[in-house]
Amino acid sequence: MRCILSLAMITFKEGIRNRSLFGIALLALLLFGLNITVAGFFMRDIGKVTVDMNLSALSFAGLLLVFFVGVNLMAKDIDRKTIHLVLSKPISRAQYIWGKYLGIQFFVSASLLLLFVCSCLTVWFLLYLYPNYFIGFSWPIFFVACFFVLVKFSVLTAIVVFFSAITSSSLITLIFSLSAYVAGVSIEEVVFYMKSEFAAQEKIISESLTTFIDIVSYLLPNFAVFDFTLEAAHGLAITSQRLFLSFGYGAIYIFILLLLASFIFSRREFN
Amino acid sequence: MSEIQIVNVSKTYNPGLFKKKVRAVNDLTLDVIKGEVLGLIGPNGAGKSTTIRMLLGLIRPDFGTVFFRGKPLGETTIQREIGYLPENPYLYDHLTLLELLRFCGQTSGLDPAQIKKRGQELMGKLNLLEDQKRPLRTFSKGMLQRSGICFALLHDPSIVILDEPMSGLDPIGRKMVFDLVMELKQQGKTIFFCSHILSDVERLCDRIGLMAKGRLIKQFSREDFLQNIGKTVFLQTTRLTETQKDVLNSLGTSIRDEAEGHLLAVSGDQYFSTNEYLNKASVQVLGCRSEWMSLEELFMQHVKEQRP
Repeated sequence: MRCILSLAMITFKEGIRNRSLFGIALLALLLFGLNITVAGFFMRDIGKVTVDMNLSALSFAGLLLVFFVGVNLMAKDIDRKTIHLVLSKPISRAQYIWGKYLGIQFFVSASLLLLFVCSCLTVWFLLYLYPNYFIGFSWPIFFVACFFVLVKFSVLTAIVVFFSAITSSSLITLIFSLSAYVAGVSIEEVVFYMKSEFAAQEKIISESLTTFIDIVSYLLPNFAVFDFTLEAAHGLAITSQRLFLSFGYGAIYIFILLLLASFIFSRREFN
Repeated sequence: MSEIQIVNVSKTYNPGLFKKKVRAVNDLTLDVIKGEVLGLIGPNGAGKSTTIRMLLGLIRPDFGTVFFRGKPLGETTIQREIGYLPENPYLYDHLTLLELLRFCGQTSGLDPAQIKKRGQELMGKLNLLEDQKRPLRTFSKGMLQRSGICFALLHDPSIVILDEPMSGLDPIGRKMVFDLVMELKQQGKTIFFCSHILSDVERLCDRIGLMAKGRLIKQFSREDFLQNIGKTVFLQTTRLTETQKDVLNSLGTSIRDEAEGHLLAVSGDQYFSTNEYLNKASVQVLGCRSEWMSLEELFMQHVKEQRP
């Protein structure tokens, strides 16, 4: 555990001191500022637009954090052979994977926490300016939605670690992770469509394609389960069962992915 | 007693589809004995770094076994006992040297007081004390190399594996590292290192392995290339005739062909008689040397023999 935490700590420090972090934070702050500036244009939908824009800004910043900084925190170790030095210490390959994951996760969480505080201030400010247009808005639901943005990026971080463990180039890791993210965000809609009456009327959708999509939908992460934007924007109640299922799905997905990454990584050779 | 035994180890790299496989190490058998300094030399691509990576468990041999203190290598068995410096170490850009050493100490099981004491000691020896709180990305190549050495030695390992430790160092840095390796040698550490700087290998090593094309083609002890035990004088002369060679041989002098003449190894008690004959035969003495054959000459001779 000591090795994992030490590795997590240096990974966190390496990430948090990366200059790209300032650019990402600045961009997110600009989006929050834009939200304050344009919120007044939306008449009765100010509350909905504010929540939407804030959650989107958090998601966008999270994506940039994971793809521009997170990917490099592990893949560059392998690219630049820093891993030779690290593995010359009594750290097992599995400890390396878990340590790196925790480090990137600390980094993403700390950065998102800072942006979350800014986001809350933005929402609070607009709530203060336009109290009559935030009908149904609920802070707890907003917090839940923000928390699940973090869960989504925890899963994405695990995907990045997984692809870093099986490839030897940060660019390939980036491409694979980005593809998994794009597919994961849209897979639920594809599955719904395939099961809908509209799809049944389409003659070009073969049985084998349906089976393929069915299998892929189990393998790819379904990022839609972490999306609570609609509930937060309209103040709709969220059942504890859905919260539990979404969180459990995320946790199990991360665990399995890291186990697989550890297994593959322990068999890998470093030339 | 052998600390590390490499027994009939082979390793082939597969560079990718439709590309010819490269046999990096071919049936290598090598022992590293406790307390010795073993140098591995050889041209680029000889398989030196691959051998080190197999020792560390970074790559697995296709055939053969690597033993550490008589037992086959496990995932972290050797790591507790070794300090490793890779060729051109890439360290974490945004960390300071102090943080890097703290990480090294924590993973090696040292307590904070030990990490601090040992870290300050090593940084002092390698002249890095003033830079310990600077990010590593601001370090020069030589400073990174010295930082890598601190990282390798912090936990006071009993075996030190150094891959090109003098690479990128200025003369002062080289002297520091040289002194440090000598100190480790005096402490009885087992040192295994690869270098292209043959003069350093010559001065530091008790035993030298010469690798070419993945094979260990020759092993030398210090005596093999120094031959300076006893009172022997090495004289460089102009080219000798066969008769002159016979006479000198009868006087107990060893003769070796060189590019511009011959090299004579004359023992102290035969010096005057040999000198008298050289005078009489009008053989010009061009100079004298401190060694029979330099490591560089041995290296070139054996490597040339390996070429088709």
